[in-house]
Amino acid sequence: MAWELSEVPSNLTHSIHDSTVDVIAAKIEPKLANGLIRQLNQACPLENLRHVKRVRRCNEFGEKSELSIILCLATGPENFSEMYPQDVKKIVDTYKLNPFLAKVARFSATSKELWEEQCKLWPTSYHPPHDLDGVSGCKENELPSIFDFMRTAIQLSEVGKNAAVIVDPSTMQIIAKATCGTFQHDDFKSNECAEGNADSPFSLLETTENKDRKFFLPGTHVSEFNSLNMVVSCINPWGWMKQRPSEQKSLHCEGGFPWHPLRHAAIVAIGKAAERDKALFPTIYSSTKPNSNGSMEYYSVDEPAKRLKVDRKDNEQSAHEACCNDLSETRPYLCTGFDIYLVWEPCSMCAMALVHQRFKRIFYAFPNPATGALGSVYRLHGEKSLNHHYSVFRIKVPEAYWNGPVGFSDKC
Amino acid sequence: MAAAAAAVAFMELALEQAKFAMDNLEVPVGCVIVEDGKVISSGSNKTNATRNATRHAEMEAVDALIREWQGMGLDQTNVAEKFARCDLYVTCEPCIMCAMALSILGIREVYFGCANDKFGGCGSIMSLHQSSSSSAELSGNEIPRPKGYKCTGGIMAEEAIALFKSFYEQGNPNAPKPHRPVRNSE
Ligand SMILES: [Zn+2]
Ligand SMILES: [Zn+2]
Repeated sequence: MAWELSEVPSNLTHSIHDSTVDVIAAKIEPKLANGLIRQLNQACPLENLRHVKRVRRCNEFGEKSELSIILCLATGPENFSEMYPQDVKKIVDTYKLNPFLAKVARFSATSKELWEEQCKLWPTSYHPPHDLDGVSGCKENELPSIFDFMRTAIQLSEVGKNAAVIVDPSTMQIIAKATCGTFQHDDFKSNECAEGNADSPFSLLETTENKDRKFFLPGTHVSEFNSLNMVVSCINPWGWMKQRPSEQKSLHCEGGFPWHPLRHAAIVAIGKAAERDKALFPTIYSSTKPNSNGSMEYYSVDEPAKRLKVDRKDNEQSAHEACCNDLSETRPYLCTGFDIYLVWEPCSMCAMALVHQRFKRIFYAFPNPATGALGSVYRLHGEKSLNHHYSVFRIKVPEAYWNGPVGFSDKC
Repeated sequence: MAAAAAAVAFMELALEQAKFAMDNLEVPVGCVIVEDGKVISSGSNKTNATRNATRHAEMEAVDALIREWQGMGLDQTNVAEKFARCDLYVTCEPCIMCAMALSILGIREVYFGCANDKFGGCGSIMSLHQSSSSSAELSGNEIPRPKGYKCTGGIMAEEAIALFKSFYEQGNPNAPKPHRPVRNSE
């Protein structure tokens, strides 16, 4: 099995049946098809249904295939024969067509599964995400580096921890890396020291060790709720309340906290990216983008929000003129345009944090069926009211990668 | 009645935090955390100063508390017990991120001012304060139930909205309001 990338669609919510449009169609002679497509595309183009194919082919009667063509949208519920436009009526009369009502999918499919469902109604076209050459998609030639960054994230994650890697895809630069800080830093080490401690769920699961770091090998545990991934903070955000055995005071305090219930990997990584930004660009702040844009971040009262949108254009303009151009170009607002790689699908706290910080793409390897907010339990990225939307991708990690001893020990 | 009066009194303190945020050119949201009828922490939105859009008022107040409690030597269990006795008063409905964070912490009760119809996680967009809202089909001893909390909105909502409006109209240093002195910031 190879590494695989698939987009996590943002709208599985409307099932196919409540997102259809009625159209008027008719069976036609195959030899008429080309001419009719041309005429109808002119007389009655399917403006908002570009994903719907004009002609359907049915092979129900053996080798003799049957064609149906969409004449136009159905505007009324009944007696549709009187509702179609003049030009369409002419075509119906000329070719003595027998119009009937059909249903087609209202939106273009966001996943292969959805597309297959749609085609049962009426054929549509489907563009898999990595074929898309746009903001939201991934280009084919990006795949090797995408998989590399996910390898980095997996190698970073220790037993029972999620890991996050923030990447600027325009420069292929890693902006920040982090793991969960919900437990004391040396928890796992102290567990390891507690020899013969049968209560420790981790002792049995140590598979590979490199220096003083244990790698977390999700392997056989994926999609199972065992003690291993039940300590990953995004999967079990409430788990911090139970004190871990043999805990001791740690001198190491990342971010000033020896442990913190909310320091999930994504949150920690965002904090590091923000610190980095302040260190790199100490002076340009608040007179430029963060303030004008940041206002939108938290809350918007309807009316002023609209005004603000108008203001923002001016602001960005003037900010652009005010501060020197290269700075504003090399310094993106928050994490605009950045990608983040997470070993585990984030919980809703982390997923919303990623919205706030304006990430462009989210990649995760393992779904989080307990609290996952990007496909498993919720689909936050499909929430229309949010002011920012990112694309979400799942990376399927080959079994050989986590089972085989090769990948891990070599890479680090 | 006494409880309602107390809620208003705490919300007034939260509004003061929101004004503090606005004075610092931040979107005006503020909160206080109350234990046994006493304010033990407060926070104001710091998303601009930190360049970190997750530094909402709630997060600021929570971090201050955790830091203090850790300094006192409290462990995870102690801290969890503490949060279970705390109420939060915040001028605007917690966003989805904060609403989930408050559930994670196991806070007892949340009171908010105006609703947050774009990002609200306590009823507007999602209902993360309701414990039943997570995946019910996953059961088993290992999975702790999501923690819900009681949530009451609409406390001094007009005051909170008025702050937002004046922020968007005047507080923003770049907003065109020539008759007002433009705030300068470094
Ligand atoms: Zn999380
Ligand atoms: Zn928030």
